[in-house]
Amino acid sequence: MIICSNCKHSNLDGAMFCAECGAQLVGREDLTTQNITTKQFEEANKERPSTSDVYQPFDGSDAWGSLHLLDTGQVLPLSVRNEFTMGRISEGQPIMPDIDLSPYQAYAAGVSRLHGVIKRDGNKIIFMDLGSANGTYINGKRLTPNVEQTLNHGDIVALGKLKMQILVRNS
Amino acid sequence: MLFNKLDYYAVLGVFRDASQEEIKHAYFESAQRLHPDKNVAAGETEIFLEIQKAYEVLSNPKRRVLYDATLPPEIEANSVLKHEVIFSRPNLVKLSEQQLVYVLLEIGARTEKESLPTPPLNLCLVLDRSTSMQGDKMDMVKATAIQLLRSLRPEDVLSIIAFSDYAEVIVPASLNIDNKKQENRIQMIQASGATEIFNGLQAGLKEIRRTLDPSRVNHIILLTDGQTYGDEQACLKLAEEAASMNIGITGMGIGNDWNDIFLDALAGKTGGSSAYISKPKDIQRLLVDKFNTLISTFADDVLLEFKTSEHVQLNYVFRLQPEGGCVVLESPMHLGPILRDTPLQVLFEFLVNSPALAEDVVALLNGSLKASITVRPTPVPPIRFNLSREVQVNPSHEPPPTRMLSALSRLTLYRLQERARVSADQGQYDAASRHLQNLATHLLAQGENSLAKTALLEADNLERMHAWTANGSKDIKYNTRALLIADKKEKPR
Repeated sequence: MIICSNCKHSNLDGAMFCAECGAQLVGREDLTTQNITTKQFEEANKERPSTSDVYQPFDGSDAWGSLHLLDTGQVLPLSVRNEFTMGRISEGQPIMPDIDLSPYQAYAAGVSRLHGVIKRDGNKIIFMDLGSANGTYINGKRLTPNVEQTLNHGDIVALGKLKMQILVRNS
Repeated sequence: MLFNKLDYYAVLGVFRDASQEEIKHAYFESAQRLHPDKNVAAGETEIFLEIQKAYEVLSNPKRRVLYDATLPPEIEANSVLKHEVIFSRPNLVKLSEQQLVYVLLEIGARTEKESLPTPPLNLCLVLDRSTSMQGDKMDMVKATAIQLLRSLRPEDVLSIIAFSDYAEVIVPASLNIDNKKQENRIQMIQASGATEIFNGLQAGLKEIRRTLDPSRVNHIILLTDGQTYGDEQACLKLAEEAASMNIGITGMGIGNDWNDIFLDALAGKTGGSSAYISKPKDIQRLLVDKFNTLISTFADDVLLEFKTSEHVQLNYVFRLQPEGGCVVLESPMHLGPILRDTPLQVLFEFLVNSPALAEDVVALLNGSLKASITVRPTPVPPIRFNLSREVQVNPSHEPPPTRMLSALSRLTLYRLQERARVSADQGQYDAASRHLQNLATHLLAQGENSLAKTALLEADNLERMHAWTANGSKDIKYNTRALLIADKKEKPR
């Protein structure tokens, strides 16, 4: 199933335009092609996480936990707020996730625009999948969408194929 | 000479590994078409004899083996046609749900346009002269018919039928006619009576068969402004008969009172399509355009014989060019003509059900493409047309091919319009209206402001009155269809 981002109609897998509203479903980002060398590509990836629209914690000292991205080795601290939605920002999207994973190849890894939410409830860390297309796996087990699941320190959470380790700081 | 290397297989139009059954079938088919009793055209008899010789050799297994040994190894490339197939996705995904695959087929002439001769025409105009044609429409039709008559080349044949509840031959099919006399006869056509398309079509078919010749473009243009009652099925039968003789049909509807679905079905049987003439002053332009298209025909029709696999469904087939139109889903399928400068482009939509994914490779369709090239009466070797996709566990992240995307994005508008029609016919007016509003959004985004406005007006009308306005559905249908080729034909005339 492909859910149209415009009208929420469910289209058959392999559809390229929404049967209901005619919006394009695939390949949006690839409409204009550009030749990029591998070097440029890597540089672009290095730069992007530091731009202002990406979630930026202060210094991580008062973070209650952090996400360790296994593929790139980067660590995203979670602080200030108690709840973060995760996903990737793409054009024309009505609801933005708090943590944008698109700089970490989220599109290729199959992360949904609004994939899941991670929150703190007292000392517990809770994760909930928000009905993502490719699902969330905790230590290899798929979560039921919209059901909360407690996380422990060191758990591996995979949003689609984007794997990250949960690091919890016990205060 | 282009076409000098004809082996017996090519003569019969079969593959080298054809079974005895297939050879027999192909022989009967061409023999029927080219039998000297039926055909008078010069050169036909020689071709008929060649087919007989081919059959004599190939139908005898011993002689066939001996003959095969003398053949050069099979060259896969077809010397006359070239074709290209584009898939919407590199593989299927192992899923427990249905999935779609789109396939874009382009098939065109291999040789350069300049080196091809222009085919002579065998054209028949079947004109509606019912009472409703009176006035502007009739005058314009007459003027255009006369103009066409004058613009004929010496090798062309044009016959003209006028029909109401009975049909009359105005200009008979013949090579040397007295123009002055015929023009007078055209001027004499009076509008009166009801519209019975069957009568006109039957007379047209009879007339065109008198000069039927595979080396000509044999085509009937039906021009009407009204509904025909009760004889639709008989008309469709006639169209099938026409298709079997390689006669194409184009339907042209004037004004708003004709049945576009019927004319589409009628023309679709022969690989043709219908056209919409909203104002009488457009009659001339559209007919002359059609005339020029016919002159540049390379192949009248491409025939696809096919089987889909179990669990695979062919959902929808649409011809994007040369003339946009729905293709009737049946085997053999009449895909449409190839022009000298415009290849044929057809888009297929396949629905794959999950049981099919048990295999590593899903065969979507197995078949062959046959084209009858106008300037060449002997069959060209058929092209194998087998479509299959591998099944993989993970979806591919490869972006879809740009040509596929642009083809589908243009077709999407037309299909939205189709859905609105279907919804409205089922009495779901709010759904129909919503589809039209969506269509209008896309039209606005593409800068088609006036068409978007029409769509919005219709959406509003459907919601309030539960009906289309007089021209609405046709305006939207034919204008979205025109958008399919809009970006190709922008060059000034």
